[in-house]
Amino acid sequence: MKNKDFMFWLFLAPVLFALGTVVLIPLIYGIYYSFTDWNGVNQAEFIGVKNYIELFSDQGFLNSLWFTFKFSIASVIVINIMGLGLAMLVTSYIKSKNLLRTIFFMPNLIGGLILGFIWQFVFTKVFDAVGRATGIEWLQGWLSDSSTGFWGMVILMSWQMAGYIMIIYIAYLENVPKDLLEAAEIDGANAVERFRNITFPLVMPAFTVSLFLTLSNAFKIYDQNLSLTNGGPFNSTKMVAMDIVQTAFQLNQMAQAQAKAVIFFLIVAAISLTQVYINKKKEVEM
Amino acid sequence: MVNKKAFLLSSALFLGLAGCSTAEKEETSSDSSSGGGDKTVVDVFQFKVEFKEQFEELAAQYEEANPDIDIKIKTVGGGNDYASSLKSSFAAGEEPAIFNIGGAVDVQQYHERLVDLSDTKAAGAALEGTLDSVTEGEKVLGLPFNQEGYGFVYNKQVFEKAGVDPASIKSMEDLTNAVKTIDSKKEELGLDAVFAMAAKEKWTEGNHGSNAFLADDFNNKALDAFAAKEVPFTKADQFKTYIDLQNKYSVQPVLSLDYSQQVEELFSTGRVAMIQQGNWVYPTIEQMDPELAENVGIMPIPVDGEMKMPVGVPQYWVVNTKVDENIQKEAKEFLDWMYTSDEGKEAVLTKFKFIPAYEGYDTEKISDPLSKTIYEYAQEGNTKGWTFLGYPTGWGDILGVQLQKYLAGEASWEEAIQAAQAEWAKARQ
Repeated sequence: MKNKDFMFWLFLAPVLFALGTVVLIPLIYGIYYSFTDWNGVNQAEFIGVKNYIELFSDQGFLNSLWFTFKFSIASVIVINIMGLGLAMLVTSYIKSKNLLRTIFFMPNLIGGLILGFIWQFVFTKVFDAVGRATGIEWLQGWLSDSSTGFWGMVILMSWQMAGYIMIIYIAYLENVPKDLLEAAEIDGANAVERFRNITFPLVMPAFTVSLFLTLSNAFKIYDQNLSLTNGGPFNSTKMVAMDIVQTAFQLNQMAQAQAKAVIFFLIVAAISLTQVYINKKKEVEM
Repeated sequence: MVNKKAFLLSSALFLGLAGCSTAEKEETSSDSSSGGGDKTVVDVFQFKVEFKEQFEELAAQYEEANPDIDIKIKTVGGGNDYASSLKSSFAAGEEPAIFNIGGAVDVQQYHERLVDLSDTKAAGAALEGTLDSVTEGEKVLGLPFNQEGYGFVYNKQVFEKAGVDPASIKSMEDLTNAVKTIDSKKEELGLDAVFAMAAKEKWTEGNHGSNAFLADDFNNKALDAFAAKEVPFTKADQFKTYIDLQNKYSVQPVLSLDYSQQVEELFSTGRVAMIQQGNWVYPTIEQMDPELAENVGIMPIPVDGEMKMPVGVPQYWVVNTKVDENIQKEAKEFLDWMYTSDEGKEAVLTKFKFIPAYEGYDTEKISDPLSKTIYEYAQEGNTKGWTFLGYPTGWGDILGVQLQKYLAGEASWEEAIQAAQAEWAKARQ
């Protein structure tokens, strides 16, 4: 028995080591620094919770928190509807569904930074050209005000993530037993009723996973934000991750940025865990 | 048996991890020459990517002449990346002998690491004013890289065809009239608009634009700006006229127009007549269209009916106190050689294509027209200081954001300026 214990820890050791050095120790360090006045170069001095108190009067941080919040809600909804829609499309009886699966998944293989630049071109050049040619005004001047910046980000994020989420839904959709659906059909249930009462509850576990992934990803987004809008115009599309990076590396307020990061970590953890807890309760077992 | 296998497996994993880390180590330290044991190694950590190769060539030339010196150069791309990698290299215990700082604000931040360079020949040869922001009493803590200047970079051909003489522009009214003339003929001239205003980049107006109008408030000295508790903004009205003029006659929407669109897509292709930028755009224009590059000129931003070119030193070389004294000495000698020896001067002018910040250079060798014009202004003393180097950290961006708000109609001019002033006061409490 003792031998087994040893084996257990031995196999775990590399992972524990990696996790410790890249996650746990930096986290502890980070929390420590958030209570100091460290600017990246000087000797850190302990100043208590001053950094945290200052956060509440930092309008820039609060604005970006609020923007991130709005963005996350919008993109979680759009991504999941698109993901589920695409999944249902490619699990139905249409031709070329395998090809379609690949195509829908492809945006996910492109890095966020590059995607941002691609979409920047689409929004500022293609949209503009189409808008000018057809005289549609709302297609012109994208990314130059805060609402098009917001929707630009949502579109970019949805386009990138929907294919990935689709894969998760496909896995669950294909596991919905055909006989159940058939029986319901014979009992006279129409397509909407079949979806609401059979498919939907059985796909619930996929929602748990997908909502978690989209929620935490949407909150932590940085590279897409950087390349698409860079926070502009007038910082109205600056998300929390970008605010933290700028506080740390442009304003040299490392400790202040660290305090922001700790708060941000707590918020993301709280929201994600609550969401998983609620969703778990709603899942049904076959 | 099983035990043994497991052990092998996990040790293999560990080896793998260890392998990764050593590989990285090697990469950082294995620059240039073989680095023999008894050579004095001078580590240089510099930010200017544009002249990396030329700089390495010059270092190789120096090594040839001084066989017991090994100059190791590490270049990390401009702006933020540089400062953060410099800090992480300090944190990791790697202390370069020579590195770069930006000015007064950085002097304060890196103070404990800066060696006094007042005994170097280069410090003696530095042009008047270029050492201001790194001088502390008798001490000189940095040596200027070069000089740079900015203003309106314009297309001479367009001006000629429109019948506007750039030399006749002496004030904001003249400029406005010239812009109107060009604007009325933009169809024939093949222009999209007169200006391309890169309002997406907060620094173009937040740092450079504002400096033209704030320099007088700070006696043209970055150090005065650095010491100022408040920003008076006495020329806010003129600044507004200048912003409005650009915005009115620019390619729209200005708020999503960035630096590369401004310089590459619009100016270099001849689709706009003028942009607010500096001599650093020249290599890009030359690369895009060598013909057009021969026809670019630069004029200052008119303030109070005066045409003064804002000229400044963007970066300084400094020597690190945390390396051996012997290495400090060699580092100083290398910097001296680069800026005061004949070979060094030649390279600074013809290879680095710098506008020199030191005396005793043959200015005929300055190759591009923008740099030449700027050097002429500098020689006549017809310049303004780069006071934005003394703004509170990040304040240029804050002002840039407020200007974006104004341009988007989210704030009035007064609100924008007041908000920026309040941030300044807050940062200097």
